[in-house]
Amino acid sequence: MLKYIIQRIITFIPMLIAISLIAFIISINAPGDPVERLSKAAGNEGSAEKQSGASKKIKQELRKKLGLDLPIFYFSITDLASSDTLYRIQDKYHKKNLEALTHQSGNWGAVSDYYNALLKLQKSHQSIDIKSITAKDSSLNVNEVTEANNQFGVEIGSLLETSNKLLIAGKFDKMNTLLIDNIFLSNIKQQLQEVQNSNNNLVSKSQTWKTYIPNINFYGSKNQYHLWLFGNGKERKGLLRGDFGISYIDSQPIQDKIWQKVGISFSLSLISIFLAYLISIPIGIYSAYKKDSVADKGMSLILFILYSMPSFFVGTLLLLQFANPDNLSWFPVSGIQDPTLFNPEWSIWQKIKHRLPFLILPIITYTYGSFAFLSRIMRVGMIDIVTQDYIRTARAKGLGESKVILKHALRNSLLPVITVFAAIFPMAIGGSIIIEVIFSIPGMGVEVFNSILNYDYPMIITVFTLSGFLTMIGYLVSDILYAVVDPRISYK
Amino acid sequence: MQNTNKEFSFKKYAWTQFKKNKIALVCLYLLFTLIVLAVFAPYIANDRPLYAVYNGKTLFPAFASETRSDSIYKNGEFLHVLQYDITDWRSLDLKSVIWAPIPYSPSSMDRYNRDYASPSGKQRFKNKDGDIVEIPSKFRHRLGTDGIGRDLAAGLIHGTRISLMVGLVSMGIAALIGIILGALAGFFGDNKLQMPRIKYWMTLFGLFMGIFYGFGQRKYILSDAFGTSISNGILQTFISIIIIFGTVFLFRKLSLLLKFRYLKDETNVPIDTFVSRGIELLNSIPRLLLIITITAVVERSIWIVMIIIGLTSWTGIARFTRAEFLRIRSLEFVQAAESLGFSSVRTIFKHALPNALAPVFVSIAFGIASAILIESGLSFLGIGVPTDIVTWGSLLNLGRQNLEAWWLIIYPGMAIFITITIYNMIAEASRDALDPKLKS
Repeated sequence: MLKYIIQRIITFIPMLIAISLIAFIISINAPGDPVERLSKAAGNEGSAEKQSGASKKIKQELRKKLGLDLPIFYFSITDLASSDTLYRIQDKYHKKNLEALTHQSGNWGAVSDYYNALLKLQKSHQSIDIKSITAKDSSLNVNEVTEANNQFGVEIGSLLETSNKLLIAGKFDKMNTLLIDNIFLSNIKQQLQEVQNSNNNLVSKSQTWKTYIPNINFYGSKNQYHLWLFGNGKERKGLLRGDFGISYIDSQPIQDKIWQKVGISFSLSLISIFLAYLISIPIGIYSAYKKDSVADKGMSLILFILYSMPSFFVGTLLLLQFANPDNLSWFPVSGIQDPTLFNPEWSIWQKIKHRLPFLILPIITYTYGSFAFLSRIMRVGMIDIVTQDYIRTARAKGLGESKVILKHALRNSLLPVITVFAAIFPMAIGGSIIIEVIFSIPGMGVEVFNSILNYDYPMIITVFTLSGFLTMIGYLVSDILYAVVDPRISYK
Repeated sequence: MQNTNKEFSFKKYAWTQFKKNKIALVCLYLLFTLIVLAVFAPYIANDRPLYAVYNGKTLFPAFASETRSDSIYKNGEFLHVLQYDITDWRSLDLKSVIWAPIPYSPSSMDRYNRDYASPSGKQRFKNKDGDIVEIPSKFRHRLGTDGIGRDLAAGLIHGTRISLMVGLVSMGIAALIGIILGALAGFFGDNKLQMPRIKYWMTLFGLFMGIFYGFGQRKYILSDAFGTSISNGILQTFISIIIIFGTVFLFRKLSLLLKFRYLKDETNVPIDTFVSRGIELLNSIPRLLLIITITAVVERSIWIVMIIIGLTSWTGIARFTRAEFLRIRSLEFVQAAESLGFSSVRTIFKHALPNALAPVFVSIAFGIASAILIESGLSFLGIGVPTDIVTWGSLLNLGRQNLEAWWLIIYPGMAIFITITIYNMIAEASRDALDPKLKS
């Protein structure tokens, strides 16, 4: 027995790693730059001048805190041409562009020369002081100069993010005409020439053969995945120790947000699963006991039709019928409490009494989703057991029919109940998105829904990973319980 | 006994069994109706007439391409250019005209019947003289409209198309993956597929190199192709897959050169373990959450939703195929095929697979129902599916937001419900017909 449990746990670990890897792969492919999102959420977006100073420093710190200055994984598979230090480039779009350029040219040295020349050009362009230029030469129009200067800056910025050869040539043309038209830019003519030369080198010194040879770089444990999962022992604790990161929406720690919301989803799913079993077990037993009778056939057909009815349709229908002033206004439309009446100091009993009318429709919808399915499973399991030898023996002994069914058959047909453990935890963490959205219940489902609408990737990924982990744990628990409860099942 | 009958064939037997289930037979006819509706949707619901005579010129606007434009002459004089997509056909002075049964397109907005025109209530219409009158029965919105005046009936007809496409495409992908993996896992098990150690290693290495050349090397080509059009992207993906197979084949041939001593020893390929673990892994992730998470990072497109549903729902099919192959591989005809020296590929796909397809077919039919359910759930939430595409789920969502428009809840909901019931019913009936043992 113990051996089986240990064996089960050993096969369980690679699955957890696989789930975390899937989640991580999805998260690093999420569009947008996390630093930009977070600094926006924190309200650091200032004017252009501010951006270059304080905000830039904040962003750099944020990048370091998030571990974005680290390589992505323990190792990377690239080609011979790519640089193994590319991860140090801060800007996500620059990084992508450099990757593309390296892929085209195959010569990392030439690419980095080009990039450095461009950065140098950008720096000396930024140091141009328009005020002093216009002050010196009164023939110049301030607006025109600023316009030309900004235009030049935009061209540099887009060069840093373009790998398309035609586009690059176009940008160079534009910059050169700007240079000719505006004398004040002539200081940086030299640098532009360097950029163009280094760009030409990309083609003339290209080593495309290098891109056809795979190359593996190892980075050790200082990487983003390791940091995300295990933390770094300092300010980041890692997913395994309950640190899930920061939400893009309001910069709050995700674990706090989840703790606030998980209770309502958990209790809803617990109540509804309990109710579903309470209804479906008698129905299953009855129709299995009266197999092939009219009642059984009718019930099967009804269950079948209910089973095909999507729960979001049922939920909306319930709202249409019972929470609609046009029809019957028995229940409130949304939420779980009336903010004008609700008092947080009430006793638990009062709170339940207040919330009950809000929860009836969601619980019906929730229960409905699993009840038709469970009844069908229960019926099939029961029919299977009723034909077994030991049931025949029990009948042959002369036991009453109700005793045979309720004492001998029921106990064994209830085994599938254990499987419920696999479903309860993930249902609580992921919530039932659709049902919670329909009834506006402030649980995890709505939280996930909002985070998807707002592209809050840390939240989505956390919920995904946690529900994967919890499903695995649920499977583990239910397997072990099976082994404990049912002596017929042997695990060797 | 029936089996002694020379005319007996399993297919005929299954079909007679299926026909005994009258409800399932009705469902089959309903499915055909749905398919007809989906195929002819542009001619059933269209705001351009099917046939019209305008200033002496005979036109078939609904059958022409949307961007077409004709120059119209009156008595030999140039009148104006008729642009098919922006013309208001109802205001034209048409000599004789045949309208589509539902004279609205799913996205065309009737500005006189905005704000949820009820099917039974008052609807307005602008006649040729420019007066606002009670709507003629031909142009009545029989199932009502939504908040911006789109016709619900037209939306439902075109939604049929999307729902059936979702079922077809996603289950096509799932069946392809599931059948191949399930067949390999079930047929070879863990210890039946043997190859020299070097060949095994070279295959894995070739797979790595194949993925490197096929996807790693070509990632810019692929993303460019997907940027231009979906069909272009799929073409390039096919080329990548061919490159992968070619590389694996090359490396396997290369392994013949290194066949000596230790490397020559036969070794087991635990293919069943790989596949079973993969199935277990995918099953342990809540499916809706997985699909939602992926749709959150990729761009919005109905095709991508279909592909994601397909890539995540092959496990059921693979499990059934595997179980069926485990049973079949010990039967005489497979052993006969093997002892005749047929290659494994031929034995699997020509001899074993046709006999394993029955339960697989059933799980595909159930799978289509759940794919449609997932897609309508996603568009109900407004996730993944672009907002400008009218689907049953998105229509139902409009109804949820405005409970007074009961027609936006009842009709799309019934459409989803009926379609899912049809598929489930057909699946269940064919399971009973194909394998009487499973009947419960």
